[in-house]
Amino acid sequence: MSAFSIEVLLALLGLAIVLAAAFLPAVSQRTLAWTGIAGSVVALLLLCGASHAESSLPAFVAPYYSLDTLSLFYKAFALVITALVLWLIAESDSTLSNYSADGKLGELVGLPLIVCTGMMWMASAKDLVTVFVSLELVTVAFYVLVAYTRKSALSLEAGVKYLILGAAATGVLVFGAAWVYGATGSLSFEGIAKGVQNAAVNKSVLLFGIAFLLAGLGFKVAAAPFHMWVPDVYQGAPTPVTAFLSVGSKASGFIVLTRVIDALLANGSRVTSEVTNLLLISAAITVLLGSLPAIFQTSVKRLLAYSSISHAGFLLLALASRSSARFDITSGGVVAFYLATYLPMTVLAFFVLCVLRRQGIGDSLDELKGLGRRSPLLALLLTIAMASLAGLPLTAGFLGKMLVFVAAVDHGYWGVIGCAVIGAAAGFYYYFKVILAIYTSEGTTEEPVTVSIASKAIATALAAIILILGLYPRPLQKVLAAPAAASVALGK
Amino acid sequence: MNSITPASIVLLLPLFSAFTILLLHKQLKGAAALISIGSSAVCAIVAMIMLGAKDTPFGEPQHILSFIHLTDTINFDINAIIDGQSRGMLFIVTFIGFLVHLYSHGYMKDDEARPRYFGSLSMFMFSMTGIVLADNLVMMFIFWELVGLSSYLLIGHWFEKPSACDAAKKAFLTNRVGDFGFMIGILLLFGLNHGSVEFADLADSFKNGPLHDVKEHHQWVITAAALCIFMGAVGKSAQVPLHVWLPDAMEGPTPVSALIHAATMVAAGVYMLVRVSFLIGASEFAGEVIAGVGGITAIFAALMAVQQNDIKRILAYSTLSQLGYMVMAVGLGAGEAGMFHLYTHAFFKALLFLGSGAVIYACHHEQDIWKMGGLNKQTPATYITFAIGTAALIGVPFVTSGFWSKEGILGAAYEHCKILFAIGAFTAFLTAFYMTRLMIVAFLGKPRTDSASHASDPPLVMVGPLLVLSILSLTSALPIVRERLQAMVPHEHHSDAHWLIVGVSITALVAGVALAFKLYKGKDKDPLNIPLFANKFYVDEFYAGLVKYAQDRLAWIVTGLERIFVDGLIARLPAAIACRIGSAARSLQAGHLQGYTFLLGAGIVLAIYVAVFVLPRIGG
Repeated sequence: MSAFSIEVLLALLGLAIVLAAAFLPAVSQRTLAWTGIAGSVVALLLLCGASHAESSLPAFVAPYYSLDTLSLFYKAFALVITALVLWLIAESDSTLSNYSADGKLGELVGLPLIVCTGMMWMASAKDLVTVFVSLELVTVAFYVLVAYTRKSALSLEAGVKYLILGAAATGVLVFGAAWVYGATGSLSFEGIAKGVQNAAVNKSVLLFGIAFLLAGLGFKVAAAPFHMWVPDVYQGAPTPVTAFLSVGSKASGFIVLTRVIDALLANGSRVTSEVTNLLLISAAITVLLGSLPAIFQTSVKRLLAYSSISHAGFLLLALASRSSARFDITSGGVVAFYLATYLPMTVLAFFVLCVLRRQGIGDSLDELKGLGRRSPLLALLLTIAMASLAGLPLTAGFLGKMLVFVAAVDHGYWGVIGCAVIGAAAGFYYYFKVILAIYTSEGTTEEPVTVSIASKAIATALAAIILILGLYPRPLQKVLAAPAAASVALGK
Repeated sequence: MNSITPASIVLLLPLFSAFTILLLHKQLKGAAALISIGSSAVCAIVAMIMLGAKDTPFGEPQHILSFIHLTDTINFDINAIIDGQSRGMLFIVTFIGFLVHLYSHGYMKDDEARPRYFGSLSMFMFSMTGIVLADNLVMMFIFWELVGLSSYLLIGHWFEKPSACDAAKKAFLTNRVGDFGFMIGILLLFGLNHGSVEFADLADSFKNGPLHDVKEHHQWVITAAALCIFMGAVGKSAQVPLHVWLPDAMEGPTPVSALIHAATMVAAGVYMLVRVSFLIGASEFAGEVIAGVGGITAIFAALMAVQQNDIKRILAYSTLSQLGYMVMAVGLGAGEAGMFHLYTHAFFKALLFLGSGAVIYACHHEQDIWKMGGLNKQTPATYITFAIGTAALIGVPFVTSGFWSKEGILGAAYEHCKILFAIGAFTAFLTAFYMTRLMIVAFLGKPRTDSASHASDPPLVMVGPLLVLSILSLTSALPIVRERLQAMVPHEHHSDAHWLIVGVSITALVAGVALAFKLYKGKDKDPLNIPLFANKFYVDEFYAGLVKYAQDRLAWIVTGLERIFVDGLIARLPAAIACRIGSAARSLQAGHLQGYTFLLGAGIVLAIYVAVFVLPRIGG
């Protein structure tokens, strides 16, 4: 079975769940959610066992579909985050169905699988058309997901904003793709890589297109100055969907960005310095505009939104710092590593928020006070997540940041490094503000918070992954060391 | 761990015992003492078996545990150095350790917290063994700190007494000062020697390696490193000016004073200095400073001992003074003489402390010698063994071990520096004086209090160690024992000066003893009154004043500077800027969709402008 067929089956499962939610009211929503989780786990297992040779692909997709290590990594990543998001949805079903139009979860359980299909497809995209199609599959599904709890005004507002701004960004992206096509005569990454080396290509036209293209993709990954939608949408969307946006949508944006940048910065490219500088400028602004406003946030969800922007800045910096001689991972690999560390900590933080929400506890810092007494486990998990987001040594987050810094130092991007240091320092302030609130302040009540055993197990496993990756990242690095060969090959 | 070697047994068995006891002390109760005593007995036997082999200096390091592995070149392991120096020291530590364990079984039998005591004692044995076996400076530093910790725990064993608490804290903090220097010294050597701090490597490096070049061209760096390392010894071996903690450390149980604060831990500084003697040899100035500090400590401590009335404090000052001798020897380049004195001193000083413990035990925890008296009749066994210890300490010629080892140091001093020789000889006189004073006041004459008149010898478990130690105090300098112990044999001084030195020390001894008899025989209160000595040269008061007047003033100024510069310029100003930017950026997020769309468009225009018009100009 090829990876491609897994994606098709996953999409079918997503549709089946949506239909079941509509026509089989007897089936409980949790059952459907767990079916989705089971489906993605099975898909993950199948993916591990599936043939990784491109020859296994059906003839009609082969020209548009690559199966290198990086794409397989992002496919697995998409499946993991989808399963976890479905778990979060199952965990907060009562809260969510209170606010949905018909009092049910319905599509909220099926759509993530379709998003997942899009993300998996995107990981394999070899040209801008495939990127566009799969990106739209993801984005359109997200429009629905963000606005799903329509009885909540915030969610509705977030949905509208995301729809309008997202549509504008998509337009920008397509427009940019058209210009790049006009300049280089190709939509495939391979062709673009050749085009940027071609002296006959009009450089201004090319740069014009690249600026649009990067702006469109920058919107998807929440890079400044195209990040304004993030805080509002993250805050308004149902919490599991926010987690999905924050991890899944960002990851799929970054795989595309990795491919595009790999192509644009191919050896001998005439736009190397321009593209690198664009990335660096954006990285610097992103880190600052993500971190500094976060200092004031009193809503943890909004804080995580800003944190997501700031992390995007670090990822852009990683992308701009081309392969470093110090380690066997390319910049694409560093991005993947960073995202892999970002996944458990973000999901863990959102999980805690979901559980609290179900108990009627909001996401403001005030309401988190005294959590250390009410649920020592949740408090500990949130502490680990926050420490890792801040980049405390011995957590996964530290290693991700360290790789980025090392690569950037090797290239001597001191100005951006300065901004990143400021951002990271500010991060320690606002992440630890959360830790401070849960432990040092007295809450209004000491009523314990209950968590189901299965959820405790999964959340503890996530926390364990954060700590294990922080201590012993070698296995993950080994997995990612291979794509070096793949993306360098593309460059040549 | 590769395989079970003698070294790994000696190192890890006490650790096992310590963990077992400290984790399970509620369940173990009485068994805790047995575990601890058993482990120390096994260690002593193993260490005894290890004696006698001949090896080259530094030997072949034995791997025990892998520790830090940073890169291929920077790694630190728990390795054991097995050579003459460590075999001998290991025996001293484990053997005296065993005797003290045994003695403690009697001495501490009424103590509620015995398991904690024995757990800490095992912890100390582990740490001390680690120092002895350490093959590199990092490992030594780690165990150095562990020793400090166990010393802290044991001094503060009776933590409900405020004075014990304070003493523990004082010991810990004072050592911190020295250890800070030690750490800087290690880092200096680490940097100069390209990341290797193994003793054998460092010694090689001085012959033909990076350190050799540094020594040739930047002598002062080596001097600085040597003095920094020496600071560690100043703290741990209680040399002037960091000597203040040791007398206070006598607040701990007496067996602890015997083991840690007389025989072994305080000698760790000397042991370490001898280990790095190649470093001290490389800098003449450092050697002079070390010898000078040693000499000053020797004489100052002896002067202070003259006016003390607490039996343990007298012994504590005498320990300081003897440590001063050893450090002086090391500074003079006669490390063997220092080590030799360390060995003999370990036996007779442990004997004296355990003897004083027996006295204190017999007199119901009375420590003031003026409230004793006539104990020679009440506690004959204690009296005889204590007298033997005293004889060894004051160096009664030819029959005691102390005489021979002190000879070695005085000989070295005579050879290198006449002033230090004079100091050493005068200290010998003072030692004879104050120890005879102690003997006369505490043991001779008539009992001055009820508790002294009803005193009796302690049980066999306490007297036994005293007997063993008194035999060793007499014999440990005999060639047959000395070779077994592998005390580094000092150079024989059969020069013309030899008989001069012997003559001088015998004169000093006789003068000291005679003066003490003349002054103290039959006296009920101290005929001498020298406030300067009794108040320990006011060093503690000086430090307190220093803290009060200098440090507090300085702190006031520093606080002011911190308010202005650190708080204001470094913390608050950037924070204010960050907050301004943050709130400005936040106000962009007002939630208006039109505004967002406008900003999105503006951003794109900006990106295009930068990409197409700015960057191609500035970039290549």
